[in-house]
Amino acid sequence: MYGENTFTHYDVLLWLVGLKATLSMFFLSSILGCLLGTVFGLIRYYRVAVLAPIVFSLGEVLKNSPVIVQLFLIYFGVPMYFDVILTPFEAAAIVLSANTTAFIAVICVASLESVDKGQVATARSFAMKETDILVHVLFPQALVVAAPLVVGILVNQIQVTSLISIIGVIDLTQVGHILNQRTFEPFIVWPVIGVTYFVLSGTISYMGTRVEKKFRIPE
Amino acid sequence: MIEFRNVSKSFDKKIVLNDISFKINKNEIVSILGTSGAGKSTLINCINGLVAPDEGDVIVDGLSVSNKNEINEIRKKCSTVFQSFNLYPHLSILQNITLAPMKVLKYKKDKAEKEALALLEKVDLQSHANAFPASLSGGEKQRAGICRALAMSPDYLLLDEITSSLDPELTAEIMRVLNALADEGITMILVTHEIGLAKKISSRIVFLESGRILADKPKDVFFSDAFGEENARIKDFLARSEGL
Repeated sequence: MYGENTFTHYDVLLWLVGLKATLSMFFLSSILGCLLGTVFGLIRYYRVAVLAPIVFSLGEVLKNSPVIVQLFLIYFGVPMYFDVILTPFEAAAIVLSANTTAFIAVICVASLESVDKGQVATARSFAMKETDILVHVLFPQALVVAAPLVVGILVNQIQVTSLISIIGVIDLTQVGHILNQRTFEPFIVWPVIGVTYFVLSGTISYMGTRVEKKFRIPE
Repeated sequence: MIEFRNVSKSFDKKIVLNDISFKINKNEIVSILGTSGAGKSTLINCINGLVAPDEGDVIVDGLSVSNKNEINEIRKKCSTVFQSFNLYPHLSILQNITLAPMKVLKYKKDKAEKEALALLEKVDLQSHANAFPASLSGGEKQRAGICRALAMSPDYLLLDEITSSLDPELTAEIMRVLNALADEGITMILVTHEIGLAKKISSRIVFLESGRILADKPKDVFFSDAFGEENARIKDFLARSEGL
């Protein structure tokens, strides 16, 4: 009968397990994605021979295919063809990191290109090295443009992590499935899961706004 | 010495510099005059390596702009002040001026700041050292730009239409600064449409039209009535410029 299997205090522990998995996946994929995305973006911005077109093509594939398809490909396909065993968490980490990399790379290129070309020309005219120009002239100005876009990606990322439940990761969404199947109380379970994601997204958005303010160019 | 040897440059098949050859010696103040699109800014950017000539070469104290290994040595000798200021908006005025000396000349921060503050005092901007470019007027920005260029202790100062973005009052501010620099004996190459400025501080005038040098004369000769009579095109240009 409905409602016979009621909630217990162990469900809070289960919720914490899911929260831990969701947050771990978020931080891992976001940090890796931002680092790799920046590297890929720089490769494209400086038009590094051979690498730039490869990075561009890879990025297009990752951006323009569903995350869920990528998850199935990596989790089911890689072990079959490469004799490698991947846990659901590892497979999900690879896919979400790669996906984030693709979007961060685009933001990186766009924000670097938004910096007035005169700034770079001026720095070069003073014989500054390209690395110094990148660190002291380009990046600080590019960050102003990139920051809100990256915050948007991160807010979206916490929600994209819900897809990893499809390959068996016990994240918040999977916890929701488990509780729902046991208690048959969807109007309790899913609002709780939804509010959890809402609070996480809201926290990221709030912290992101504060970080953005630090990058603003003084007037 | 800066020497242009048969320099030609085109952009999208439009010839901007056409077989330019001339020399600039130390301690000269050369004004490059000409109509819009004559190739003046391109000429100055061939010296600092921001534009690579299609043909010919520019030699600065024996170093060639066509040699990738020598271009940064040339850039250390030649500092440029730009028409649109190009100050770094995220850095204070002091940081704008000290960045290149610290990174390129390897000055310690104390030394770079001391010299920067001395330069700012010369142009009456010392109270704005910690301000950011957005809070400065056009004249103040250009004075800061001049300080940034001078902080590199250049052998040659390249000034590309530095008063074009300024109203007459601010232009007068800049002219005072340039007068003072001229009195100090700094070698300057000045692209300008300010005839008054060219007359006042230059030792020599180079007149460009359609990428060619139409005249290269000492100032007194260039602005003489006799020269104007012989060169209708230049006379017409001067008449129109002074009539503005």
